[in-house]
Amino acid sequence: MSNLPEKPEKISNKVVDLLVNNAFRKNGVDIESVKGNLLDEQKQEIKELLEELTQQVEAFVKQKPNK
Amino acid sequence: MSSYNCGNPDCRKCKQRNNQESAEDMRYRNEENVQDTSENNDAVTRESLDATVGQGADQISILDQESDELIWIKDSCNVVVQTTDTQAAVSLQVGLQLAIALVISITIGDSDRGQTITQELFQQFNSEQTNRQRIYIDNSKDVNITTTDIDLAVNIEAMLQILLALVVKLDVL
Repeated sequence: MSNLPEKPEKISNKVVDLLVNNAFRKNGVDIESVKGNLLDEQKQEIKELLEELTQQVEAFVKQKPNK
Repeated sequence: MSSYNCGNPDCRKCKQRNNQESAEDMRYRNEENVQDTSENNDAVTRESLDATVGQGADQISILDQESDELIWIKDSCNVVVQTTDTQAAVSLQVGLQLAIALVISITIGDSDRGQTITQELFQQFNSEQTNRQRIYIDNSKDVNITTTDIDLAVNIEAMLQILLALVVKLDVL
């Protein structure tokens, strides 16, 4: 909880990439071989879900009073 | 929960007292939830030792959603309080968590391995998520308060980043 005026910086994409990669590798999952498990239909649904969530997050972050 | 009413529908004192009560009510419920969770945790430990680590992370993420806000305004006028809508933030957070879990479970299957990966991704967020906020205004005039819950905003952005990274890696986009 804070009244700091400046918006905190985003986490670097590299950190996030590393985290996701590491989570897969640690559990012995090969990303390439797992890709085939997704049907095109599912991909489309996930894409839509993602767009919706992105919009919601953007709306939420914007509504904050940035003074 | 009892509610105060002096007959005047616009009476501020009654409204404040009622709001205050609901906040205390909420806090009480939160405490109850915490107790429930710890009991569940014990049960899990007893049932299967293998799952303790995974379940532990899961349980913590329930506690995370505790957001506690109390605003107390007394003998004051012209008070403007603007706080973050924690409820919206929390439901957004749950939505993102669900989406991450869903993507993993579709691609890797609902196996132990998939669950471990999901929980590993969530664990990064579990440290700093309980927010307590108390605002007391007493005997004041023309007060303007704005608070921003930066923790939640960062958290939600980070989760969206993880979801995006995951989806890009799996060639969905």
